[in-house]
Amino acid sequence: MRARALTRSAALLGASALVLTGCFAGPAKGPAADVTAKPEYSGTLSILTKFAGEPLEPYFEDLAAAYERRHPKVNVELIQETDQSIKDKTKTLTASDALPDIYFTWTGNWAENFIRGGRAADLTKVINPDTAWGRTFGESALSAFAHDGRYYGVPLYNNGKFMGYNKSAFDKAGVDVPKTFEELIAACPDLREAGYEPIAFGNKDGWPALHYLQQLFAHNVPADVREADYDPKTATWDDPGYLSALKQFKTLVSVCTDTGRGTNGVLYTSAQEAFGQGKAAMYYQEILEFDNTTSGGTLKPGDLGIFPLPAAAEAKGDPKVIEGAPEGYFVNARSPRAALAVDFMKFVTSTAHARTLSAPPYGQPSTVVGAVTPQTSSKAVQEGIDLVNKAPRLAGWLDMVTAPEVADAWLAGGEALISGSKSPEQVMDGVRRASDSAE
Amino acid sequence: MRTLYRRAAGLAWTVPALVLLAVFVYLPLVQNFGYSTLTWDIYSGSQQFVGLDNYRDLFADPVFWTSFTNNLRYALLSVVFQVFGALLLAALVESIRSTRWQRALRTIYFIPSAISLTVAGLLFYFVYEPNLGLLNHALEAVAPGTFDHAWLGQESTAMTAVIAMSQWQGFGYSTLLFAVAIQRIPAELHEAAALDGAGPVRRFFQVTLPLVREMTGLMVLVTVSGAFQVFNEVMVMTSGGPDNSTHVLGTWLYRNGFVRNDFGHAAAIGTVIFVVTLTVAMAQLWFTRRRRVEW
Repeated sequence: MRARALTRSAALLGASALVLTGCFAGPAKGPAADVTAKPEYSGTLSILTKFAGEPLEPYFEDLAAAYERRHPKVNVELIQETDQSIKDKTKTLTASDALPDIYFTWTGNWAENFIRGGRAADLTKVINPDTAWGRTFGESALSAFAHDGRYYGVPLYNNGKFMGYNKSAFDKAGVDVPKTFEELIAACPDLREAGYEPIAFGNKDGWPALHYLQQLFAHNVPADVREADYDPKTATWDDPGYLSALKQFKTLVSVCTDTGRGTNGVLYTSAQEAFGQGKAAMYYQEILEFDNTTSGGTLKPGDLGIFPLPAAAEAKGDPKVIEGAPEGYFVNARSPRAALAVDFMKFVTSTAHARTLSAPPYGQPSTVVGAVTPQTSSKAVQEGIDLVNKAPRLAGWLDMVTAPEVADAWLAGGEALISGSKSPEQVMDGVRRASDSAE
Repeated sequence: MRTLYRRAAGLAWTVPALVLLAVFVYLPLVQNFGYSTLTWDIYSGSQQFVGLDNYRDLFADPVFWTSFTNNLRYALLSVVFQVFGALLLAALVESIRSTRWQRALRTIYFIPSAISLTVAGLLFYFVYEPNLGLLNHALEAVAPGTFDHAWLGQESTAMTAVIAMSQWQGFGYSTLLFAVAIQRIPAELHEAAALDGAGPVRRFFQVTLPLVREMTGLMVLVTVSGAFQVFNEVMVMTSGGPDNSTHVLGTWLYRNGFVRNDFGHAAAIGTVIFVVTLTVAMAQLWFTRRRRVEW
């Protein structure tokens, strides 16, 4: 009896040891991708995009079909996700060592994790600014995906965040485009009196608040201080500009939105809808949304104006910085079809396809030089891209430039600030704790 | 020899099920415990053994305790509404003389349970929406400016709003199960009690309640166990916000793994969920092995 129990225990222990050994094993390593090789036009090429849903979904579908027609032995397998779902999908695929041949990426901390972990192929030999392909892109867009002098990403489109406004609403309320944050706040009661919700805002997912905050941080906190705070090793998060920005944000939510403390219960897309239907006078949005905002609702393209979120008169940071960053794609460093993946991305970023991407209904301003023109893009998209190009510096998305733990503290803090459950000082305490923990 | 052959044949028949269970249930459980003793960089694949540090961090994490408390609230309210409320409703429905009405009411109560939790969550998200939501419009019509509220947007009401939706969705299923249990009670027991002068309330407490005790106990255990596995409705309606106030253990696990990249911490939460649900399951097994009520 005792011997049988001993045998059972040993078997259990052995099984556990085997399993734990499996746990400690790293990801499967294949040969490093050779991006300079001659592509072999056969097999299945898998791509994870951020273009799920209308109106973006057909873009990659059409390109995949065209590429398959050109190379009949190639099968392009598309995995299309939304802005929200792609974060989880990418991390799941990374953890299970099953990333596709080509996958979407943001810039900042998000991209650096993949580069540092050896998950992104080094594309320097094919896309650096001195190569034929590299010369087709704006240099700043290429640099956004560079790390230690090496180039890893294929930038697909530029992006920036602007306050979109309804020109008719401003005319009706007798309001001019605000030049300072104080003017923006002062305009809100007039717009409300004219029958509009001054600013439509939905923060159900948490990140829309971070978009406001990052722009206000750029206005109120010097760039070198912000850069140091992004890295938990050098972060202090004690610049008084952060508190000023949080107070400004709280004022904006209280004075300029109809939902006020309940804004966390409103979807971002509901706010977009309110603006598109002409019920709200302003809506803080990405360039990528401009064409979508003016399609299907009562707001016509000619009625959409944009301006950068204005800085407060006494702001201590840089009032000309614009929040935004290009978005692009990595080639899987372990892909056996890396050369084919590069060939496909060259096809995607050809001038003709870049122009299609920049034009309605897609309205994604391509990073390819000469793709965004008055002939291809809407007025608002072109104006937005001009402002992004002229900005002395871009501030990346707060949840992408900070460590995930810190980003999560910002998400919770932004929601708490809106609902009134935490003061700006308490929000900063939470962020500092998260940053210390991330270190 | 024949006995040995029979035993071997019996074992052979169970092998496929045992293999499936081992691979898809027991192996992940052991693996999960292994992961909970690691810090794991999913990007580089590097893993470091940290012993029980993840558990120490977990028990010092205030959001973990908020989540645990939310699960307990969920369990408590579910037992009140989905067990005792459903039992009461089932007794009322079964006391109706017209079988046509009985069937109609059972169907009406059951319909919400046929809707998936994700769809019900989305539906109620729009019911609770502060600007366009049905609830605020109804309250505004009754008492203008008095009760309208951002139900999911404020920490004070968000969790209750999510739990309320869940009760609506699960209520009918429990009612149906209790209705079946009540139908199994021989009619002569009720008739005898009535002849002895017992009224409907007394008959409920003296006849119905003791004879559905088995089903009631089982429902309590199933409901409590289910309350610790809640995920969909919270993800759809609030994603754990605002300010982490509506997280339950399942969503906090997900957030740690897939947002904060801390898979070791997430695995530790998984182990806690397993221990809680295992305890409830053991209680359930013990309960069902007890002598059944017979008549």
